[in-house]
Amino acid sequence: MIGTSGYSYQEWIDSGFYPPKTKSAHMLELYSRSFSLVELNYTWYQMVRAEAMERMLTRVPDDFYCTAKLTRTMTHDISDNWRAQAELYKQGIKPLLSTGRLLTVLIQFPPSFRRTPENRQYLGRLLDWLQSLPLAVEFRHCSWAHERVYSGLRDRGVTMVTVDAPALPELFPPLDVATSPALFYLRLHGRNGRDWYSGTMQKQFNYSYSEQELREWVKKITDTTTINSECRRGIVVFNNHVAGQAVNNGRSMIRLLERQAG
Amino acid sequence: MERKIIHLNVADFSVAVERLVDRSLITRPLIIAPQVARARVYDMSEEAYQDGVRKGMSLARARNRCRRAVILPPTPERYEKAISCCFRHALPFTPQVERAPGSGHLYLDVTGTHRLFGPAPDIGWRIRKTMRRDLGLNPIWSVGPSKLVAKVASRVVKPAGEYIVAEGEEQSFLAPLPLSLLPTVGHDIENCLREVGIRRIAQAAALSRQDLYLLCGRRVETLYQALRGIDLSPVHPPAEVGKHFFFQHYFSPDSNREEIIQTAVLDLARQAARSLRRHGMCCCRIGVTLTYSDTVKVTRQVVCKHPATNDRELEQLAVTGLFRCWRRRVRVRTFELVCMRVSPYVQQLSLFQDINKKQQKQKELEDAIDVLHQRFGTSALTRGMTKE
Repeated sequence: MIGTSGYSYQEWIDSGFYPPKTKSAHMLELYSRSFSLVELNYTWYQMVRAEAMERMLTRVPDDFYCTAKLTRTMTHDISDNWRAQAELYKQGIKPLLSTGRLLTVLIQFPPSFRRTPENRQYLGRLLDWLQSLPLAVEFRHCSWAHERVYSGLRDRGVTMVTVDAPALPELFPPLDVATSPALFYLRLHGRNGRDWYSGTMQKQFNYSYSEQELREWVKKITDTTTINSECRRGIVVFNNHVAGQAVNNGRSMIRLLERQAG
Repeated sequence: MERKIIHLNVADFSVAVERLVDRSLITRPLIIAPQVARARVYDMSEEAYQDGVRKGMSLARARNRCRRAVILPPTPERYEKAISCCFRHALPFTPQVERAPGSGHLYLDVTGTHRLFGPAPDIGWRIRKTMRRDLGLNPIWSVGPSKLVAKVASRVVKPAGEYIVAEGEEQSFLAPLPLSLLPTVGHDIENCLREVGIRRIAQAAALSRQDLYLLCGRRVETLYQALRGIDLSPVHPPAEVGKHFFFQHYFSPDSNREEIIQTAVLDLARQAARSLRRHGMCCCRIGVTLTYSDTVKVTRQVVCKHPATNDRELEQLAVTGLFRCWRRRVRVRTFELVCMRVSPYVQQLSLFQDINKKQQKQKELEDAIDVLHQRFGTSALTRGMTKE
């Protein structure tokens, strides 16, 4: 399944993906006509609420699936009461979970989250606390690229997200390690190395993948000897949302996969 | 283009500022109230609120409800400084920033800035992050298609958190909420609707304009639109002109003594007149707002026949405005004066020599005082007042 990270972008009206004057509330409905998967981005900014999830479900078809980012108070601005936050999150995400539309909860850590004893302990406690949910972890720092991390995630059945990002020192490398047989999760952030640390998302994720770059990923994920054989389901999410590039790349990848399938 | 309004609200603003000054107060319930007889609560911390303390409540009653609370007098200058710092943190993202009435509220219109700064929630989060890092304040931020919806969203998550309401979701967002969360619904309207069993916004939104008029009387149109999340009011940045012609006085402590209040009002009127003259402007209307200790606010306007620019005219207007507002015995906390219908001062010269000598003398005197004030400061020469 292929989708994008978030769907509510005003610039996607400018880029032509949404018709002019589309209201934010109607964007998901339109989005679901092109993609069957979305990564819910806003759950990172605000605590997820059951009533908002229920409202959302009424707007999408039955075969539409989601992944949801874990709220930033448990990943970026870790608060003292993270356990209470995790409980709130579990309550809020229930409508998606109970209807089988939630593929996984994405725990995305910042580059500053390095593999230190405290952070390892925190990660362990967080995964235990959220064990009732399907989980995927994305690291941004290379210190986590370690066999013991993979085996720890494997033991817990947690997916480690494969990332495509610029080849910069200290960034987590693009590995095709499958840690959960349930799901393979690929996130493509773009390869704009020059503006990666610019501090603004508009620059950081401003990148359009070439046909050749997409073809390389298509080859990897359809290769029966690696990921494809180890995981029951695979999802690809484009995060290069600037100027609607994620949408264009997502559509191109769907076309390439269809061509590959014959 | 879809409107994107961010509402930033530092909950219990004065408490948050006092706690920045004295970190030992963080763990203790706090009540801000002037330390005078029959004082009213100015603000309180979340712990005191949970114990039943409310703004405008008498301090004696508040003390009974929260005996462990620390009581501090309000320091408006400190709060003013803090909100100005918050304002400066918001400015890099948009020039459309409004300092809303009441402490600790900012509205930002970030419509159309997505190509520069990314989505509105990201701006809200970034401002909160920098305010937390630089000022130690942790504001609630909410995003909505209007000021009204954004403010309600902040109230939903108070005392901490964030909320995003997309355009088109206003009605479904507001529907299940209690009426008290809607800013346009005052106690009187809430009570009227409660009498007929209406407590939720959805129930009131189901009423027609005529039904609402029968129940609530005036202001039906505003209420009718607010119940549907419609609010077209723009974000008002503090305009250059407005900044020069807005004056405020905090009574510290709160006071209901006529000579104190009148002296302050006359002083503001003179400041206003001086500012008008300095900018070569005049005004045809003044607005005055009086806030009592129990947070009740009264606003009145006074119109003058001829454009006013000298001290005496402004003094008369301000005092008239004061007595139109001041009808209660409760102490007064703040007095605000704003010059309205401001325009360049153009004096039509007379064709004949009929200049009123008294007026001419008065003008010359004011010009001389203005020169002295500019040179030596306003405290160098002050006007006296005789008590009749």
